[in-house]
Amino acid sequence: MNNFAYVRPNDIDSALNLIRTRPKARFLAGGTNLLDLWKMGVEQPQTLIDISRLGLADIAPRPDGTGLRIGALARNSDVAEHSLVLSQYPVLSRALLAGASPQLRNAATVGGNLMQRTRCPYFYDPAFPSCNKRKPGSGCGALNGYNRIHAILGQSDQCIATNPSDMCVALAVLDAQVRVIGPGGERVIPIGEFHRLPGDHPELDSTLQPNELITAVDLPPMADTKHAVYLKVRDRSLYAFALVSVAAALAIENGSITSARIALGGVAHKPWREPEAEALIQGVSPDHAPFDRVADRLLQGAHAYRYNQYKLNLARKSVIRALSVAVASV
Amino acid sequence: MAQTPSVLGTPRHRVDGKLKVTGIALYASDFKVDRLAHACLIQSTIASGTVIEIDQSEAERAPGVIAVLTRRNAPKLQALPEELSANGTPGESRLPFQDDQVYFQGQHLGAVIAETFEQAREAAALVRIRYQPGELRTDLLGLADQAIEPRMFGGRIKLQDKRGDVDWVWANMPQVRLVNETYSTPIENHNPIEPGAALAAWDENDHLTLHVSTRGVDLTQKVVASAFGLPIENVRIVCPFIGGHFGSKGFSWSYFLVAAAAARIANRPVRLVLSRPQMFDSMGQRARTVQTIGLAADENGKLAALKHSTLTHSSMIYEYTEPCGNLTRLMYACPNVQINHHLVHLNYTTPCPMRAPGEAAGTFALESAMDELAVKLNLDPLELRVRNYAEKDEFDQRAWSSKHLRECYDRGAAKFGWSSRNPKPGSTRDPEGRMVGWGMATAVYPANQQPAAAKAILSNDGSIVVRSATHEAGTGTYTAMTQFVADTLGVPMDRVQFELGDTQFPPAPVNGGSWLTASVAPAVVAACAALRDKLISLGVDGPSAPLSGQARNDIVIADGRISSAKDTSQSLSFSDLLAKTGNQTLEADGSAKPGDSYQKLAFFSFGAIFVEVKVDPDLGEVRVTRVVGVYDVGKILNPLLARSQLLGGITFGIGMALMEGTIPDMATGRMVNANLAEYHVPVFTDVPPDFGIEFLDVPDPNMAANGARGLGEIGIVGAPAAIANAVYHATGKRIRDLPITPDRLV
Repeated sequence: MNNFAYVRPNDIDSALNLIRTRPKARFLAGGTNLLDLWKMGVEQPQTLIDISRLGLADIAPRPDGTGLRIGALARNSDVAEHSLVLSQYPVLSRALLAGASPQLRNAATVGGNLMQRTRCPYFYDPAFPSCNKRKPGSGCGALNGYNRIHAILGQSDQCIATNPSDMCVALAVLDAQVRVIGPGGERVIPIGEFHRLPGDHPELDSTLQPNELITAVDLPPMADTKHAVYLKVRDRSLYAFALVSVAAALAIENGSITSARIALGGVAHKPWREPEAEALIQGVSPDHAPFDRVADRLLQGAHAYRYNQYKLNLARKSVIRALSVAVASV
Repeated sequence: MAQTPSVLGTPRHRVDGKLKVTGIALYASDFKVDRLAHACLIQSTIASGTVIEIDQSEAERAPGVIAVLTRRNAPKLQALPEELSANGTPGESRLPFQDDQVYFQGQHLGAVIAETFEQAREAAALVRIRYQPGELRTDLLGLADQAIEPRMFGGRIKLQDKRGDVDWVWANMPQVRLVNETYSTPIENHNPIEPGAALAAWDENDHLTLHVSTRGVDLTQKVVASAFGLPIENVRIVCPFIGGHFGSKGFSWSYFLVAAAAARIANRPVRLVLSRPQMFDSMGQRARTVQTIGLAADENGKLAALKHSTLTHSSMIYEYTEPCGNLTRLMYACPNVQINHHLVHLNYTTPCPMRAPGEAAGTFALESAMDELAVKLNLDPLELRVRNYAEKDEFDQRAWSSKHLRECYDRGAAKFGWSSRNPKPGSTRDPEGRMVGWGMATAVYPANQQPAAAKAILSNDGSIVVRSATHEAGTGTYTAMTQFVADTLGVPMDRVQFELGDTQFPPAPVNGGSWLTASVAPAVVAACAALRDKLISLGVDGPSAPLSGQARNDIVIADGRISSAKDTSQSLSFSDLLAKTGNQTLEADGSAKPGDSYQKLAFFSFGAIFVEVKVDPDLGEVRVTRVVGVYDVGKILNPLLARSQLLGGITFGIGMALMEGTIPDMATGRMVNANLAEYHVPVFTDVPPDFGIEFLDVPDPNMAANGARGLGEIGIVGAPAAIANAVYHATGKRIRDLPITPDRLV
């Protein structure tokens, strides 16, 4: 771990000024991912900007009184247990509680969770010679290596890593909006545009610009909270990354599915949604909804590798299971 | 007068429990010394080749760096003698800094010594190494044709062995039911919570004190003294607590030699603590095994022939063979048995014993095959085992010292409700739609005894200290030995202090093979009995003795007092006895070694384990929902500790069955999941809410420690097969490759 300068600004303006002017600066929130990567030598910041004094931890309805605004520094555990989250966005609570361990959730923040890097051994361990994400142009060690946890959708030959966040899969079905502030002022990034597919630039996990800071996540109101499910398949019952996960939020009115939002985790560089798949069951009776076709459409174009063939089948079955559970919830 | 009832056999909390939960117990890296410096290893990042150049210039300039240790400036280490390095003796005989060859990823090439750990780690990252890569050997199956046939395990057990004529039966008994299947277990790592840690301090007279997390202080002393060319008395090894080892600590590993070398060149005490990733390349592992089992039986299920062939690997620098066929030789009655092991040298770190070496992986294969045979014969799996019950150790033609496995089967089956099992796979679902399966397996583990010694010291305040260079790995040595002292000397447990983990104490064996209690307790009892004799002599011998005139046979030692059984007024406390006879302390030595019966009888512990699993039919997730294990491990000395040990062992079995596995990258020989986030060990929600663990508690008449046999490792034996068999019963899918993760079932 290299020597570094540590600063702890008291307001957002100072934080933005520091990130702009200090060399190789990084924001520190919970540190649960940054410190791991730093200790492994993947990250080597020269300035650490501790943002814990910026506030940004409130959880309250948005200024217009609807929905919810979650401060970027709200702890994962606080969000998961918050009464408004539990009552209005239960899928978010369930996803958070399915992730990591209690100790990590106590430290990890919402903003930090959004910034969690994709998980891949060839990225995390610099002793592996090939990783385009860590060392652009060096190749992808996972492509012909051990790729059991890797992507089946949206990947490129440059990178087949997956986003490991559970929270982000739930945020995807909640149509969350990520509020950020930077040199050019504030802007809002829809969750679906926040994370990137690897393409030719796997080193970029998100569309957050240099010198920007996440301030909050906004959630629009949900019409129906009953039919929301977070399903996570993993190698052990707790504290394991998802092999495949599914967040599903359905609205059912008068015997008909009025809205369907489904996101897959553990299959791509970002949470995976497919509006055409969701449209297949909109306006359909939940008793006759073709969940298998939804799954097939979601997985259209999926491509697996030597060790993750199972994900094709597992993802399909997980989608069908999640939707079946969602419609059965009362 | 009333004798205090013995504390042996009674439930006792750990005497060191409070020390541990309050942080007072000191582990190797906790000891404080002045001028302490910190070392961080420099490791290879290739698996095979030659070091061309180590550029340490940047590291040397880094803040806080005291010295950089490499082959260039390392003290010349001397090759270990045959007794410490012979093939088959667990450990790594190749010492660090011998040459420029690289044999596996993470090999120790040196260390940076700095004022703080962080500075050492950063500087180590600045060391640049140039290599000439060599031929890379990572593919066990691909290189199987280069396998050798290793001869012995641990110098004791033949790795190629047979009785009768398996091939003749195979060729000439066409009516028999055959199972000829291949099973595999992955590389696994011990992952104790405390990593390897060493704190080395030299004094001006060339004496080294090494605090190191080891389960073999005496062995470590020999290794260190030998490597540094020192008289044995110049090296003191101290280890009062081990934060678990599961086979990993002990033996000769490079890192503590690096720590001692670092302390020598820095001329400062040096601490070296392995990181979690280093626990995957610096202290052994269970090698991958690929095992083929062939079974031939008549239509009644009576075994006619049994073949067990194991393909496994060792490192390029050492021959260690995971002895999977160990138990196959004697678990069942069978006239024709053939055991083979084949070993391929690969560019992976050196393997070593781990959690029932051989027995755990071997019984997974054998007990899975027995289940498959039962299915083919349309016979209950338990009934098949009973029909092949071994009434003696057929391999060595020895009688069992004590075997009550039938009772384990019966009690386990009754407690579990086995008789209501519907044999048809996939026949049962729970209310949530999960498939329910029941499986069982036999557990066996050798019961050994090693020579050991102890010293007992009575002080004038009546307290007793007993010392032996044995170990506390978290299993309860302090507690069990305190019980033996209290029992032998008739004092309350709180007057006893047992001390261990120091080469200045009388010798004791490496902690392994489930033999600690059976080995050390008889020595402790001998020392205490000798002390007792001395107490009586002090009390009655000579005209001025306090109890002069009493016959020795009439003396009672109880409740910290020496008394006459005939005249209750004749009684005094131990401290009064010492005071009246002008003694400050009274000492006695004792030792014990295996008796003659060890050659004549077969000593084993036994058990039967029954499990219930529930399997998600779509998602492939397996949960163990119920466990019943009934064990015949001789006398139970402390039911609380015994239960805890079995509970831990079965939990390891759940880990082995369902989630554990270290995965190598074939292109580099580097492990892809060398961390605890992705090397999965069971968490609380992976174990059933209730473990139905029972002990027969039948003393073994030929075991010195009050009839207790070892129970350290038998918990993991059988559990993986029982789970795999239950998964088959639940789903109809036979998974022959561990671990049984969801991808294998969807």
